[in-house]
Amino acid sequence: MATHRFCDGVRRRDFLQVGAIAGGLSLASYLKMAHAGEVAPSAKAKAGILIYLTGGPSHLDTFDLKPDAPAEYRGEFNPIETNVPGIRIGEHLPQMARCADKYAVLRGVSHTLAAHELGRMYMNTGNRPLPSLTYPGYGSVVSMEMESAPDLPKAVSIPNSIHPAGYLGIAHSPLATGATPTFGRPFQVRGTALGRGLTVTDVERRQQLLSDLDTTFRGVDNDSEVLNGLDRFSEQAHNIISSSNARQAFDVSQENPAVAKRFGENGFGQSCLLAVRLIESGVRFVTVGIGGWDTHQDNFSKLKTDLLPQLDTGVAALFSTLAERGLLESTSVMVTGEFGRTPKINARGGRDHWPRAMFVLLGGGGMKGGQVIGASDDKGMGPASQAITPDNVAASFYKSLGIDHHKEYHTNIGRPVMIVRNGHVIPELFS
Amino acid sequence: MQRAERDGFETFTSYIDTLFAGYCWETIMHLKTWLWIRRAGFVALAALMPLTSAWAADVQAPVSERFADAHGQEEPSFQRHVLPLMGRLGCNGRACHGSFQGQGGFRLSLFGYDFKADHDALTAGEKPRVNLKNPAESLIVFKPTHEDEHEGGQRMEEGSWQHHIFLRWIEAGAKDDSAEQASLTRLEVIPAEIQFKTEGEAVKLQAIAHWSNGDREIVTPISRFQTNDGSVAEVDENGAVTCTGQGDTHIIVFYDNGIASVPVIQPISPEVAANYPQVPTPTKVDELVVQKLKKLGIVPSELSSDAEFLRRVSLDMTGTLPTPDEIKAFLADKSADKRAQKIDELLERPTYAAWWATRLCDITGNNAQQLPNNAFRNEDSKQWYDWIEKRIADNVPYDQIIASIVLATGRSAGQSYEDYCEEMSQYYRKKDPRSFADHDTLPHFWARRNVRTPEDKALAFAYAFLGVRLQCAQCHKHPFDQWSQQDFEHFQAFFTNIQYGNNPASSKERAQMLEALGLGGKKPNNEVQKKLQAIAAKGEPIPLQELFVRETNNNRNRNNKGKNSGSSRVITPKVLGGEEVDSHESDLRHSLMDWLRSPQNPYFARAIVNRVWANYFNVGIIEPADDQNLANPPSNEALLAYLTQEFVAHGYDLKWLHRTIANSRTYQLSWRPNPTNRLDTRNFSRAVPRRLPAEVAYDALNFATASDAEMARLLTDVSQRAIGPTSGYQQNGGRGASYALATFGKPARLTNCDCERSMEPSLLQTLFLRNDGEMLSLLERNNGWLAEVGKAEKSNSSQRESPRDEEFTVEQLERARTKAQQILAKLDKKKDEKEYKKALLRKNRIELQLIAMRKAEAKPATPSGDKVDSAVVAQQGAQLVREAYLRTLSRPPQQDELDKSLAYLADSESLSSGLRDLLWALLNTKEFIVNH
Repeated sequence: MATHRFCDGVRRRDFLQVGAIAGGLSLASYLKMAHAGEVAPSAKAKAGILIYLTGGPSHLDTFDLKPDAPAEYRGEFNPIETNVPGIRIGEHLPQMARCADKYAVLRGVSHTLAAHELGRMYMNTGNRPLPSLTYPGYGSVVSMEMESAPDLPKAVSIPNSIHPAGYLGIAHSPLATGATPTFGRPFQVRGTALGRGLTVTDVERRQQLLSDLDTTFRGVDNDSEVLNGLDRFSEQAHNIISSSNARQAFDVSQENPAVAKRFGENGFGQSCLLAVRLIESGVRFVTVGIGGWDTHQDNFSKLKTDLLPQLDTGVAALFSTLAERGLLESTSVMVTGEFGRTPKINARGGRDHWPRAMFVLLGGGGMKGGQVIGASDDKGMGPASQAITPDNVAASFYKSLGIDHHKEYHTNIGRPVMIVRNGHVIPELFS
Repeated sequence: MQRAERDGFETFTSYIDTLFAGYCWETIMHLKTWLWIRRAGFVALAALMPLTSAWAADVQAPVSERFADAHGQEEPSFQRHVLPLMGRLGCNGRACHGSFQGQGGFRLSLFGYDFKADHDALTAGEKPRVNLKNPAESLIVFKPTHEDEHEGGQRMEEGSWQHHIFLRWIEAGAKDDSAEQASLTRLEVIPAEIQFKTEGEAVKLQAIAHWSNGDREIVTPISRFQTNDGSVAEVDENGAVTCTGQGDTHIIVFYDNGIASVPVIQPISPEVAANYPQVPTPTKVDELVVQKLKKLGIVPSELSSDAEFLRRVSLDMTGTLPTPDEIKAFLADKSADKRAQKIDELLERPTYAAWWATRLCDITGNNAQQLPNNAFRNEDSKQWYDWIEKRIADNVPYDQIIASIVLATGRSAGQSYEDYCEEMSQYYRKKDPRSFADHDTLPHFWARRNVRTPEDKALAFAYAFLGVRLQCAQCHKHPFDQWSQQDFEHFQAFFTNIQYGNNPASSKERAQMLEALGLGGKKPNNEVQKKLQAIAAKGEPIPLQELFVRETNNNRNRNNKGKNSGSSRVITPKVLGGEEVDSHESDLRHSLMDWLRSPQNPYFARAIVNRVWANYFNVGIIEPADDQNLANPPSNEALLAYLTQEFVAHGYDLKWLHRTIANSRTYQLSWRPNPTNRLDTRNFSRAVPRRLPAEVAYDALNFATASDAEMARLLTDVSQRAIGPTSGYQQNGGRGASYALATFGKPARLTNCDCERSMEPSLLQTLFLRNDGEMLSLLERNNGWLAEVGKAEKSNSSQRESPRDEEFTVEQLERARTKAQQILAKLDKKKDEKEYKKALLRKNRIELQLIAMRKAEAKPATPSGDKVDSAVVAQQGAQLVREAYLRTLSRPPQQDELDKSLAYLADSESLSSGLRDLLWALLNTKEFIVNH
């Protein structure tokens, strides 16, 4: 029956069904999967981490140095050798240099959107932003595609959501922690922690009362998606709140102090630790944000004294801890910002927005580390030859997560949209 | 479509039905079906008189017969045959050559109907798909007949009539005849309605195209068919409909730009026709609903209980729970028409105006972030709300409200720029600002940043006032409606002259004003902005931007003549599906408004009627409620037509509409299903439990946990409510109510699409209700019910040892309250706003004291201590449990619920902690968060 298999594949009914669940969450499919036992997480489950450097990190001073360029481009920093022969990165990333085998450095990643908001949207979705449509971020797509343990949220953002769920609807928004954890201090998240002196016993007692009283719709709730969904979420929320699983995962103070220290005694480092703990306990996607990269002035001192040491310690510990715990093979990690920065240093010792050349790190999840893919030209102005597009980065990241980036969703008005509309997988990552 | 004709066809249909009943559809398919239909039509002609002229004329046979041979006299038509065939074969779908990138270097217009582009794509370019010299070698003939050569696979057989259509068209010169073709006036489908009896039954559809020159042609083989619900009926590519289950849906038929829908029903129970039970239908609405239910074999539920009705109607109509006192009074009321009385009363409440102002702000897109005046975004958003709220409260006819939005300009007629700025400054001054609600028009709708371009204005207009989603047609033929890209362009032309910004005609005055303020010649940077804002706050006029109508395109083109002639294409404005409009007027919106109000307008009144209906029934008669298109027919056309017609006849009276809907028995049915309507969600045979909308849910949480005095305040003072004037304000970074509201799916109001609101439950919502700090704070807040009960307990237990701030007797307080009420009654809320507020606060404070005192008197002392005295629980507990139920579920507890709750209280550390848990549990029941 060609009419469906070919072109006009989406029929009106499909549209209506999607339209009717404007929140984007397909409750029916969720419930069906739950019924079929497909929601239990498997040990080899795929997961992802996005480290997002808000503001746009300078590529020339981090992972794409140009020691031979004129001084007004080159900057103050020198390259150092890594544990992979031939790969050299910035001198203020010594720990990252010691684990360069765990990630691939993508150079000459390139786009044309020099505004923070637009660049952020592009890099977080792999789709050039459209005014009429908000594409979902990585965490939201993963939350749509994967199931997780019943007592855990599927996707978490530390501290705030970098990118919304867009047309997938708020149900797929990552749970935002609202704060970054502090080294050695207990940490909890809005709505998941027991507050106000409540104990698990109190919660169980309340829950018993609730189930004793919540009987009005008994017998008809299976006929209603809304009632059925409320029951399901009620159970899940109760699991999250009363289980020690989520609380323990969130509470970085329970980590072995030696391990915790490795991540750095700062907010970003501890957020990376939290990301590892969450992935370890079964959360499917974690976004960690770190701001301050918009270095229009004093680029070098800001990088040297503040930003790079944090990034170096936190991300290196994240890679090595994931590897030690056997999680790196199943966890895809991406490090990126919205764009690179101008190769030519400005009058205030800063670098400005520069989307034509930037770097991205990709590692874990079956992606081949210890290599440089792509290149920028001799001054870091643009790609040396073929540009790597954000679309291709996204397609590759999704592939490593086991998600077909060609998959099509329908927006709440029934418009069909592919996860990544124009992306191609970067072959070097998977050879 | 001509109604009389259709009614005739309904009768006719049953005839066709019986005619086909004895045949399995395969047999029918192999018959020369078009002859069948002609014969059937002929019989029908004899039987049914009025509609028959259509049948007297000859109807052309289908192309499958006329082009069965490879050669012949007749030449296939590009518009009538070749392009529809390509649509049927799927060539112009979005995964094939309709894709914007094309496919294999060949690109067709998506879903067709761009004849010139498609003809060019076939005949011109580097690699024409048509070979006039050797037609059989044409790619368009060769490729789709060869599996290996065509990525899209084999689409037709060599030697088939499809093949011959292409061949014969090319042989005849491959002409584009679309310009000289008559236009399609109607796509008729026979039968016009299908009523199946059992699964597996089948009926073959026939499609007949009616052209404006009188031609009629059977187009079944080159039409496309689809079902709106495959679980009720499937349709194959030849139009054979097979019943797959019980229920009702539509089969949609597409040909050229015509789209027709055929209702299909298989009854859900044997309770149809003569078997259908006696069902009361006190109103016309009920009659029309039951008319459909009878065909479906669905029996409506029983009438809801009084408590269910009161909760439902209060939430739907006023976005607010009923108060415990109101519930008690309503349940005790013995009058027969108490429901109708309640409806009338609710329609007069400030909460009705607030909630419907919020809904209209949704529809029109009131969002501070999109308002252009940076300094006064929230003020402008509040102006917008206030303006609508006043009109809802005054029940201004809907068409007048919309006219004052559609036709708005910044200045009123004849107003000078200075006077305009002067007037606006009165709205912006900090001290005692003038109310914008008194302004004649609302220019904000057009002023928004997100509708700067004519395209965006056209889209927003169509969503908001027509309930039509046009955006597909912005780039290609609408897949589910008649609209082509050309239609969109013509429609968009209405909006080219409306502009928000600095009116060039007033640049002199503007410069003078800036000069006078000492800001002449300066760049409008932040500093200047701040200064201007400060001046405005003092109440002095500052130069402002405005909504104005530019001189017409025609004039401009005349002025530009010679400069860039030819580059600007003048597109005549044309209403959707209607006539071109004389474009000499500079403000074309007047013609547009005339069109909205004309009796021929198929959308305007229908859209609001359907949206209001959807508010009361969870789904619209057309669903999604703002998606009126030919492929999305109403579930009950007669009902929607009746309500729309009467709404207009009643002068677009919104309260009439609310009253008519709410007074129907249909609205007042119970949610409790019976075996026949268990799964019905589209035919209004019962109330469908649905989650409370975000603002209503948030307010309900606030309301249910409030002290009595706070509750009373929230009923009349909506200024801090989620359904109130702040609903369009800029979000404050996810803190406070905005987190909860976003979590519960409050629309962002960016696109004028109803789909922005989410009514789905989610895990985040449940986490919020159960365990969020904000939620727990609501329970335990100072002006909350629990605190109030706690205070009363404490003051009792201490035997009034601790002196009150003001020690009055009940009698003194009552006298004071009467006086406060008198003062309040004398004050004009608008004129003496400050005084009024003060008096209101005073009255509330007195009432608060009175309540506390009465409670203290009514209740025996509670021993303060850790253990709960069982006697105390027995005495006070029952009353408190009742109160908690009334506050949350709006009904008294049943005996077993009362027993369980009391047992819990007795087992708690203290009465107050037990009560807190009970309130928490009730707020977390499904019964609380759904309207039912």
